[in-house]
Amino acid sequence: MSETANGTNGGDPIIRCRGVVKRFDDFTALDAVSTEVRTGEVVCIVGPSGGGKSTFLRMINGLEGIDGGEIVVDGIHLPGSKKDIQRVRREVGMVFQSFNLFMHMSVRENLILAPMTARKIGRAAADERAERLLERVGIGDQIDKYPSQLSGGQQQRVAIARALAMEPKVMLFDEPTSALDPEMIKEVLDVMVELAESGMTMLCVTHEMSFAREAAGRVLFMADGQILVDAPPARFFSEAEDERQASFLSKIL
Amino acid sequence: MSFDYNMILRYYPELLGGAWVAVWITALSLACASMIGAVVCIGKLQKHGAANRLATAYIDLFRSIPEIVLIIWVFYCLPLLFDIGIGRYSSAIIALSAYGGAYMAEIFRAGVQAVPRGQVEAANALGIPVFHIARRVVVPPAIRRMMPALVNFLTELLKATSLLALIGVSELTYVASTLGSKTFAYMEFYTAIAVLYFMIIFPLSVYARRAERRRLRRTGN
Repeated sequence: MSETANGTNGGDPIIRCRGVVKRFDDFTALDAVSTEVRTGEVVCIVGPSGGGKSTFLRMINGLEGIDGGEIVVDGIHLPGSKKDIQRVRREVGMVFQSFNLFMHMSVRENLILAPMTARKIGRAAADERAERLLERVGIGDQIDKYPSQLSGGQQQRVAIARALAMEPKVMLFDEPTSALDPEMIKEVLDVMVELAESGMTMLCVTHEMSFAREAAGRVLFMADGQILVDAPPARFFSEAEDERQASFLSKIL
Repeated sequence: MSFDYNMILRYYPELLGGAWVAVWITALSLACASMIGAVVCIGKLQKHGAANRLATAYIDLFRSIPEIVLIIWVFYCLPLLFDIGIGRYSSAIIALSAYGGAYMAEIFRAGVQAVPRGQVEAANALGIPVFHIARRVVVPPAIRRMMPALVNFLTELLKATSLLALIGVSELTYVASTLGSKTFAYMEFYTAIAVLYFMIIFPLSVYARRAERRRLRRTGN
């Protein structure tokens, strides 16, 4: 990857989006979005609902098809073959608003399924990895419980650990705290901050402006299917450079 | 008129034999119907194309023909059309499997579609191969969700075996009617088989209810 010019801050670009378009029938959800994310960067995507944030995130790991332009993840081009999509998904972890844990499996089974089937690692190694990651997210003692026996915050931490078990190069977070009771938001954000500090490349669609301020290197403001603002958090929150950004900030701050 | 228990005591081996025939025909038909149903269900789950149309046609066809007509048709008409010999028992199993396949396909489909979309989405996002998503993520909760419908259909199938008396399969109803015509103790024999059917089917329903409660307790959904 020989990206030149401004290749000084952070590593090489691990995600490159060029003119990405997404349509749902007559509605254009994404209108020629271009951006780059470098290895180790933490990027928060904010903006009004319906602006295309989640759609954009879901296109990066092939959960939504691409109607125009391209996304290159770790050298793999999308749109691509089913095999390419699988390769991208193995490198990109995703955390959903509604956790989406496998409800009929114990926490341990949730964590070892993907490494054993998609990475073909052995049971012992997968178990060891599961135990280590659950310790890391602070719920090592819950390994043999079922998701329904855990609180929302604990479930979301299991979901983060489950994604990490694939040892992804990038983590996508789609409003990870929006379905949580207020007292549980912090325990999830703490895990995300720790992950950001460990050098993980992260893209987070979020309404948690405190997290964006504290952990993000860049904030993208999306509305009407476009990235209208791309700025470091300090500047993003202090001086609005777009009318809609100003109106958005006045509502949430 | 008095109820002659001695009739039942004297002929109970024949009655139990008839019950046994009903049970194994049900079991074998359910096994075949499940295989047909699985294939038809996979076809039906395709969003479009020939597989979906074929599966839809199969389900519509066999759900629109009364079981009794199907049974008689397979036994009397199919051999004439194709100039082949099909025995009573084979006819019975073919007819019940074809009929059952249509219902099992819909039961399987309802089970699969009841699995929340997010489960499959999460598995996709993890890069889990399709085969493992089906086997580990979709099928186990789908089976638990379809259990009540499945057991309900099993009882319907067992009751449908009584129609096989019409083509001379010596299942429970046929045994009762032949014993009745031999001894004129119709009341005794039909009462006895009513009790026998109940004794087989009722525990199944109880089991299904308990299994459903257990599932709810464990997974909470």
